Amino acid sequence: MFGPETAPATALPHPRRAAAGDSFLFALARAVLLLALVSAAVFTATELLPGDAADLRASAGADEEQIRHLRQELGLDTEPWRRYLDWVSALLTGDLGTSLVNGRPVADTLAQRLPATLALVAGALAFAAPASLALAWWAGTTRRGRRISTAVLTGGAAVPMAVTAAALAALFSGALGLVPPVSLLPPGASPWHHPDLLFLPVLSMALPTAFFGASLLAGAVADTVRLPHVADARRRGVPSWQIALVDVLPFLLAPFVRVTAVVAGGLIAAAAVVETLFGYPGVGSLLVSAISSRDLPVVQATAVLAAAVVLAGLLLGDLVAALTEPARGRTA
Amino acid sequence: MIRLLVPLSLAAVAALVLGGGWLAPYDPTSTAGAPWQPPNPAHLLGTDALGRDVWSRVLAGGGRLLTVSVAAALCASALGIAGGLVAGWSGGPLARLLTACADFLLALPSLLLALVAAIALPWQTAVVVATVCGGAPLTLRVVRDAVRTIRTSGYVEAALLRGETTASVLLREVFPAMRGLVSADLGLRLVVAIQVCAALGVLGLGATPPAPDWALMLRENMTGVATNPWAVAAPAIALGATTVLFALAAQLSFHEHEDRRPNRAGQEEKPHA
Repeated sequence: MFGPETAPATALPHPRRAAAGDSFLFALARAVLLLALVSAAVFTATELLPGDAADLRASAGADEEQIRHLRQELGLDTEPWRRYLDWVSALLTGDLGTSLVNGRPVADTLAQRLPATLALVAGALAFAAPASLALAWWAGTTRRGRRISTAVLTGGAAVPMAVTAAALAALFSGALGLVPPVSLLPPGASPWHHPDLLFLPVLSMALPTAFFGASLLAGAVADTVRLPHVADARRRGVPSWQIALVDVLPFLLAPFVRVTAVVAGGLIAAAAVVETLFGYPGVGSLLVSAISSRDLPVVQATAVLAAAVVLAGLLLGDLVAALTEPARGRTA
Repeated sequence: MIRLLVPLSLAAVAALVLGGGWLAPYDPTSTAGAPWQPPNPAHLLGTDALGRDVWSRVLAGGGRLLTVSVAAALCASALGIAGGLVAGWSGGPLARLLTACADFLLALPSLLLALVAAIALPWQTAVVVATVCGGAPLTLRVVRDAVRTIRTSGYVEAALLRGETTASVLLREVFPAMRGLVSADLGLRLVVAIQVCAALGVLGLGATPPAPDWALMLRENMTGVATNPWAVAAPAIALGATTVLFALAAQLSFHEHEDRRPNRAGQEEKPHA
């Protein structure tokens, strides 16, 4: 996943030869199918757990008869596929169920926590996207010491995000005492009003992401600067900033958008790690705590929502990339 | 120089991780002094919340994590190689089906797969499932492309004309030719497996306390980061250095494979199609 020289060919959704509209329909169908598969996988995983919602919800002294009654009431005595369809159709109509732990509607909890996670992801992307382009530019255009720059990108992308987070916490709040080590956001408060709480989580997410994005992009940069028209412009004596701006950057736009989409999908999942580590109340920490407490409706809704956001991001990336791709076939 | 250094440091890391527990000056799971001591002569890296020796826990904390990651990476790599050999060798609808399945799985982040798997499965299995789903498709594509190139090379055609069976050609001619590529790929799968392992550990879905485990230590010691930063920094450095070392070893192995490839200049990179 991190080999810069193999990565562009392997890890990225590749440009399709067909018209942009066709490829978008294809990508849309793929995303919908994947989402259906994810929902089935999540449902199966929760089905595999020993004990069901009735066992979990029954009061301590309930006997067999009461549990059987509760199971009937909750509709748990029907076949799994029927329950799956019921659950999916409820999801589609916006009914996400209620938490087994606190009895609150899952939709409310999600709506309350989503902005916090989006703030994290947006902040991390705002830093990581330009940084990855700059790093990729450096790695893709160095002539000498190419392997060293590749090694820096590979090594940087390999560091687990938990390690970055812990190291930054040890440095900034342990050794330097600049920011609080935990990011406990008061409930209902906007994350944007507490930049000191956002600092550690955003930086921990952005750093490894920048290296990972750069390792995906470096190949595209190296390919682009080797294109004939770039060499030609150089021979004509065009200033290098103009070559970068006019001859190289437009060709990088499509891969850049795709890489940003892939990286943003990773960030949604990675938010779970960073939020849990810093005690930041977002969707990721919600998913993790729901998994630990076996709060199945919350797990199901959150996991499917996370997958939907990831797939929507990839789809958007595909669409924008298809629209911005310079048509090499047309001009050549 | 580097070619000697990387295998040596890999061996050192493996020895330290597997045998570190015996070197530990204190029992990694029992109290050895007052909690949250900063580094001092008795405790090189200080103590944690329960007064356990951080240095001892760091020494003992990599074994399980690395064992699970290696197992997961081997599974992902083996499945991917098998799929890639079949897809690259046979071509046709089977290859297209395998590639489509692989493409399909790639869209989801490994960590999300691991979290879904961790709902019902033990964490070790969840790591294997996530690494296989997220990694095997990449291996498949790399191996498939390599097999396609090798398949049309002279020595493979010669072996086929000699009347050797497909299995023996694959085993004796094709596989040795992509040894470097496969080991590089295995290294990258291992890196992702360690990342997933670390994530699950930090999330509290991995190793259970009081086991010494680098990822679990990060989680446990975050509360005391202001009093003893080394309780967090030391496992972070151990985990980070191990992962980076594996990634660099994979990179080196890939470069060696590239260097050995015949008429490299003549083979332009294929368009990403």
